[in-house]
Amino acid sequence: MSNAFSLSFLLTGLLASVPVAQVRPAINDAQQIVEEGQRRAATTSERYSGLLQSFNADGKTSEKRWMFERIGSHGKSRTIIRFTEPAEVAGVALLIVNHPERASDQWMWTPALQRDRRIALQDRSARFFGTDFSFEDLEERVAEQYDYTLLAEEPLAGAATWKIGAVPKRTRSSQYSKQTMWIRKDDYVTVRIDSYVKDQVVRRLQSTKILTVQGIPTAHELEMTDLPRGSRTRLALEKVLYNLPLKESDFTVGALRR
Amino acid sequence: MRLLLLLSWPHARRHLLRTVLTTAGVVLGIAVFVGMYTANQSVLLAFSQTIERIAGKTELQVTAGEAGFGEDVLDTIQSSSLVRVAVPVIEAVVDPQLRSEGDLLVLGIDMTGDRSLRDYDLDSGDEAIVDDPLVFLAQPDSLIVSKDLADRNGLSVGSRLPLQTADGNKNFTVRGIMRPEGLATAFGGNLAIMDVYAAQHMFGRGRTFDRIDLALAPGATIEQAEKELSTLLGPGFDVQAPAGRGRQAEAMVAGYTMMVNISSVFALFIGMFIIYNSFATAVTERRAEIGILRALGATRGQVRRVFLTESLALGLVGSLAGLVAGAIIARGIASAISNLVGELYGVANQATEVATDPLVMAVAIAIGMLTSVVAAAIPARSAARVDPIHALRKGSHQVFSAEESRLRMVIAAGLALVAAASLLASESRLLFFAGYACTIAAAVLVGPTLTVRLTRALRPLLTRIRAVEGALAADSVIQAPRRTSGSVAALMLSLALIIAFGGMARASYGSIVQWMDAFLNPDLFVMPSQRLDVRTTRFPATMAPEIASLPGVERVQMFRNNRIMFRGKPAMVAALEMNSVRETGRSVPVAGNVDEMYAKAAAGTGVIVADIFSQLHDVHLGDVVEIPAPYGTLALPVVGIVVDFVDQQGTVFVDRSVFLEYWHDDTVSDFRVFVASGADLVDVRQRIIERFAGERHVFVLTNDEARQYVLRVADQWFSLMNVQIFIAVLVAILGIVNTLTVSITDRRRELGVLKAVGAVRAQIRGAIWLEAATVAVIGLVLGALLGAINLYYLLEIVQRDAVGLRLDYQYPTGTLLALVPIMLGAALVAALWPSEAAARRSPVEALAYE
Repeated sequence: MSNAFSLSFLLTGLLASVPVAQVRPAINDAQQIVEEGQRRAATTSERYSGLLQSFNADGKTSEKRWMFERIGSHGKSRTIIRFTEPAEVAGVALLIVNHPERASDQWMWTPALQRDRRIALQDRSARFFGTDFSFEDLEERVAEQYDYTLLAEEPLAGAATWKIGAVPKRTRSSQYSKQTMWIRKDDYVTVRIDSYVKDQVVRRLQSTKILTVQGIPTAHELEMTDLPRGSRTRLALEKVLYNLPLKESDFTVGALRR
Repeated sequence: MRLLLLLSWPHARRHLLRTVLTTAGVVLGIAVFVGMYTANQSVLLAFSQTIERIAGKTELQVTAGEAGFGEDVLDTIQSSSLVRVAVPVIEAVVDPQLRSEGDLLVLGIDMTGDRSLRDYDLDSGDEAIVDDPLVFLAQPDSLIVSKDLADRNGLSVGSRLPLQTADGNKNFTVRGIMRPEGLATAFGGNLAIMDVYAAQHMFGRGRTFDRIDLALAPGATIEQAEKELSTLLGPGFDVQAPAGRGRQAEAMVAGYTMMVNISSVFALFIGMFIIYNSFATAVTERRAEIGILRALGATRGQVRRVFLTESLALGLVGSLAGLVAGAIIARGIASAISNLVGELYGVANQATEVATDPLVMAVAIAIGMLTSVVAAAIPARSAARVDPIHALRKGSHQVFSAEESRLRMVIAAGLALVAAASLLASESRLLFFAGYACTIAAAVLVGPTLTVRLTRALRPLLTRIRAVEGALAADSVIQAPRRTSGSVAALMLSLALIIAFGGMARASYGSIVQWMDAFLNPDLFVMPSQRLDVRTTRFPATMAPEIASLPGVERVQMFRNNRIMFRGKPAMVAALEMNSVRETGRSVPVAGNVDEMYAKAAAGTGVIVADIFSQLHDVHLGDVVEIPAPYGTLALPVVGIVVDFVDQQGTVFVDRSVFLEYWHDDTVSDFRVFVASGADLVDVRQRIIERFAGERHVFVLTNDEARQYVLRVADQWFSLMNVQIFIAVLVAILGIVNTLTVSITDRRRELGVLKAVGAVRAQIRGAIWLEAATVAVIGLVLGALLGAINLYYLLEIVQRDAVGLRLDYQYPTGTLLALVPIMLGAALVAALWPSEAAARRSPVEALAYE
């Protein structure tokens, strides 16, 4: 089973889960909780339009809009993000090919130069185009590559949650030494992830405005905060649709140029 | 100490001008040496700093000559487990079209991976590199500039900056400003960053990179990675630490460095003679005082110590001031040398800092003080030794004894024999340079004897010009050769260097003109830049048929030059359409048959090499030249050797098909256009410009303009001679002022008697002027003679050690003739003050002197 969680997955519905109405036996094992959350969020494809807002420490903001499309499921999906606004970046497209066993491959299309380029994702801790997400945050990560520990059960923003610690296994290289996740008990949506470097929280992802789309609870607002920098990036999802009849051929470098 | 206060301090105060002149001798000597050396070092420092600052945390760099390599190489390197991060780079030196700004180094990098190698921090601390990195990548007109450049030109985020690109002048948008440290200070702060893929487009690089910078995976060693990547990539690639590129740049300018070092050593010798002469003058002028002191009971040791202490103090003051003046000279000429080196070698550098080497500073101070002490000690010792009565007598100490003169001549003859033997007996370069040093030493030793003989020969001419004054002037020099020996030696060395440079310039011009007649004969040159040396922007080959189809164009040749490393040294590969060139070139080979040479080269079964290349790399007709290229090792026999000046490091000419096969690069450095007979050159030129207007930036140079450009670069190369001429004039003025000052002091009584018996001021003035002119003429004659020998040595060095250029020996008569009025003028200027001082002195005062 290729259970995974990632920003890319977050963008595609990590925070979604099946309705609570589907009653299952109580789960107390952290690994099982994570896997169940991902199982519930599994879809074959997705499309949404997003509004990305970055706020730096001085309060300066920038906005971009994109159209997001994904085909495939966790760990072996392909994603295309096409920027639509502002005019300076309109037409720029990003193809992300996720692999279960290694870092994703990424290509970028720049219409002004009429050419594609492979993005060298060697420094995975680098920020993703000035946002507060790092390139590593974009990767889909296999659940088995982490050791999970149920740390506590506590309420968060009015909902009961499991507080789970995740430590990358020795085979997994990561900029983060550990992560702490809060997963809602009612719908298995992950509503917060704190990422640590040594013992310091460096990034915090919070998910809000959870609405059900095609039966899948989906966070419509995600906010990543870079705590040392004091900056944050907010992603608002609109017109979310799952399980669309998308074609594999539309998720290639050739298709990126179209 | 009491003696010092009693003798030295009052003398210095009373004869302030003399003290200043003596110190000026030290200042000039040290300044010339330090200035020349430091300027050159500053240029080399600028190279290494630019490379080091751009390299950042780069541990290894992969290059394949100037042509670069395909993008696939990046994947190969990134696939190595020893590599943590590998990022592509393109470098281009462009004209920023800003008033009072020099060239701008544009660094094309891949921002998505590059930040782990280089620090691009902006002025505002840890803010994002640019306002919006995605916009930076999406818009090919995006630039990040250094704060220095922004401040100087009032640029801020959003400002527009015009740059010269392959498609003409384009306006770029400043999207970030880097803090003035680290990377932003490379290339003297004239640095801009752009996206590497945008740089490919803007500078016509196709889908190639200049190099790949990389950092190693944890645990991997540089040696391991170097070995693995070299095996992965093949022999056409260089995998080395950034410092290695610095060494390449140094190797590129090694010939130039050697010539400047020779100039520096000459400057040092000249400086030593100036210092010696200044001190010898100052001490001998006070010989009478020494006599009085000795008569009053001062011991010889006391007298010697006084002068040694005084000379040490003045030597120190003069040396320190010389260091400052040297730094000013270095600053003044470093940027000129920097530009020259950039134009000659295409090496990006911007010398904005003066490289003050503490060791050189210490050596300079030591030389200044030591020479001052030696210069003071010799006359002080002899003055302290002689009987006080003799010491009080004027002039006798200025004569060389017959024994001393004989000894000098014997030693000089011995040195000359060693020099001759070193030339005839061995090919050893060490012996050659030893012989060179012996020649110079011999010339310095025979200088005083020749001075006396020449003055005797000149005496009839001087008396014909002015009977009394001429005789007085000639006798003054003949009776006191020691007085003039230092000045003459300094002048001789200075002029010998000018003559040698002049000879080199003349021979070079002759060869360059011959080469241009034979080889540089197209009517028009279509280039991406006004400068022939700029290779960072190139044209696509598809332009060739477009130019050929224009009315009035008879033939178009594609020319491509590309810097490579051959046997660890820089060289140039030039790709020509040999079949076409054989019909238009009239190059007569130095070795090989002209028809066979072009036929084999055109067939891709041989290469033609420049004579320079042959000399520098000891490659001869029939030898197989092996050049590692990105797509295999080119191994072809030399089928012809030609005289060529395309590059100072030597060029290997290959057919264009061979270049395409081994470099996979079809871009063109310039197109050479032959106009059909009857067609108007101006019209054809205009048609070419109009054909590409708004599409590409093309500069069309006529043959005359191209020739002028080549000659202008040659002029710059020899512009160092102007510095030497300026130094020679200073040497002449200072040396002659010193000589005349001692002369009129020594002959104060004689001049007083002359005035008492009716000599008018004009006669006294005339005698001093003629003496000055005599010193200048002797300096000229000896300089011309030594220059003839010096020219031989320098041409040998140029051919065998520095540039590999075989130049004909042609004595620069024109340079010598031009020096005559300059040196005579300098002599007259130098004589102004001493002649007035002598003419205005009252005879009573002069006669009462003793």
